[in-house]
Amino acid sequence: MSNAIETKHLHRTMGKDFEIRDLSLSVPSGSIYGFLGPNGSGKTTTVRLLLGLLRPGGGSIAVLGRPIPSDVPRVLARTGYVPERPQLYGMLTVAEAMRYHAAFYSTWEERRAEDLTARFGLRPGLRISRLSKGETGKLMMLLSLAQSPDLLVLDEPTDGLDPVVRREVLSALLDYVSQRDATIFISSHLVHELERICDWVGVMDAGRLVAEMPMQTFKNGIKRLRVADAPSLVSDTPFVLLARETGDGLAGGEVWVVRGWQDPMKQYFEGVGARLREVVDLDLEEGFVELLRTFRKPGA
Amino acid sequence: MFDLIDPRSPTPLYDQIADRVRMAIASGDLRPGEPLPSVRRLAANLRVNPATVVQAYRTLEAEGFVEMRQGSGTFVKDVGAARRDEERGDQARNLVREMLAEAARRGLRAREVLAALRDETGAEA
Amino acid sequence: MFRQILYTQWRWSGTGIVAVSIAAFVLPILTVQEAGVTDPTWLDARQLLPAIEYWSWVYPVLALGTGLLAATTAWTHDHRGHHVYALSLPLPRWQYVLLRYSAGLVLLVVPVVLLWLGAMLAATMTVIPPGLHAYPHALALRFALAVLLAYSLLFAISSATTRTAGYVITVVVVLFVLQLLFRLAGSTTDLVSPLFDRLMTLPGPFQIFGGRWMLIDV
Repeated sequence: MSNAIETKHLHRTMGKDFEIRDLSLSVPSGSIYGFLGPNGSGKTTTVRLLLGLLRPGGGSIAVLGRPIPSDVPRVLARTGYVPERPQLYGMLTVAEAMRYHAAFYSTWEERRAEDLTARFGLRPGLRISRLSKGETGKLMMLLSLAQSPDLLVLDEPTDGLDPVVRREVLSALLDYVSQRDATIFISSHLVHELERICDWVGVMDAGRLVAEMPMQTFKNGIKRLRVADAPSLVSDTPFVLLARETGDGLAGGEVWVVRGWQDPMKQYFEGVGARLREVVDLDLEEGFVELLRTFRKPGA
Repeated sequence: MFDLIDPRSPTPLYDQIADRVRMAIASGDLRPGEPLPSVRRLAANLRVNPATVVQAYRTLEAEGFVEMRQGSGTFVKDVGAARRDEERGDQARNLVREMLAEAARRGLRAREVLAALRDETGAEA
Repeated sequence: MFRQILYTQWRWSGTGIVAVSIAAFVLPILTVQEAGVTDPTWLDARQLLPAIEYWSWVYPVLALGTGLLAATTAWTHDHRGHHVYALSLPLPRWQYVLLRYSAGLVLLVVPVVLLWLGAMLAATMTVIPPGLHAYPHALALRFALAVLLAYSLLFAISSATTRTAGYVITVVVVLFVLQLLFRLAGSTTDLVSPLFDRLMTLPGPFQIFGGRWMLIDV
């Protein structure tokens, strides 16, 4: 099976104002797929649709090769899920919660659970309602990883956690990935974190998937150019011109945001009598922001 | 050794990792026969995708710097002094290229940079 | 799986179950004490029966309360988390609901058995006048069935989404309000009583709650 998750023209209306439209995403098996998007773009709704927690209005979903929602229990048996707001039973202790969870998964590995308990510094006798936010986050990750899943679906797993806890959680996740050939689908608006670990990225905005490609392509794809003496009318560019603005102060000129840039395209500027002063690489966050800007502009 | 991995740089992460290893070999910090950190360990420490580390190690293997032994790990090969010097030369050149590019951005000329270099190092160019 | 579900349900319902169990044990003993039956000189059946009947309303109320307790405590924690955790477990929803239901049944054995023991104890404690008999087993059985009925119905309502449960409660409230309005308008239209009678007398489903719950009877 080449894609761990695959949707085709997925559609779902949520209330009056919001809908997921024509969502066709593909998560290659064994990849770490970062699902980016601003708040309210429909990331959590998409995750819920993928796991059968919501019924789709139209389109098809296949997870680990099986159709959703008809085969949900079998898929969930092999999927570790960390939801946006963890909903564990507050009255149970950490140890009781682990025993409860373990009872439902035949692939539960007690050894890994013990290792992670020690590694995360979780106290088995402490009640869940008394755990700090960081400890709850760690426990959620522990429960998912100890299941030994083939697929991990993580919805903002590090949101609201302090940097120390974030590192611990991500390290444990990556540790697992290096031991097992698992696929990770991680949704987040913390772009910097995803930048290091994801090899694929999908971008959501206002209910639609606006981009999906390997991480490296995405990072390299969008650049900022500092241009001097640019002509007022521009046409037939070898790259895609996403935006054009006056430069910031010091040396005048303009800033162009372009997509699909390649080095030989420098020639273009000589041809129109302009000067290309600098090619600036954008990191993932800047690239993400620019991409969204262009999609929100009318007529983009 | 791996502290300065920058996910924001346009250089792919695997390349940055491989580069660090090359530098360490060229400078003698990593000796022939020494093991590199395991994929698992390095990925978790750097918080990068394990596949990235594997790619870095494979690149190094293709270049002849290391040897990946099934089940035991990845080990530094003895590339010989000549090759190490060649690598050092490459590293120096890369550094100079970066410096000149930055100088150009600031509007400085190569001549001025060279003069500054002479002053700083007190060496005959 | 069932073990863990039973365990969590015990953690949630436990205190309540223990409380009603104590009440269930004590109740038959108290009713015969109140009726003065332990006093060996009291032999007049005509005065005994009304005394027993005076307290008979407690049994159905206790049965209803027990069922309600077991049903609601089974679901409060899942409701709180909007059922997300339960729905993400790898088993079909109906199976999960069935396991919770069964766990509740297991826990409900305790108050039923304790009522039975209490009834038997109360029966042995008293001197029963000639012409009357004690029916501890019948009482316990009736109690068991009433608890089962209350639990099943309330469980079904609790397991539904808060919205459905809200609908059901709204319908009941509306009926009562309408009744009140009719009364205030001077009309004699009765919505509630006929419905109540229908449900409470044979062959109505709630017949088991009505009538007299007598430990000692003719």
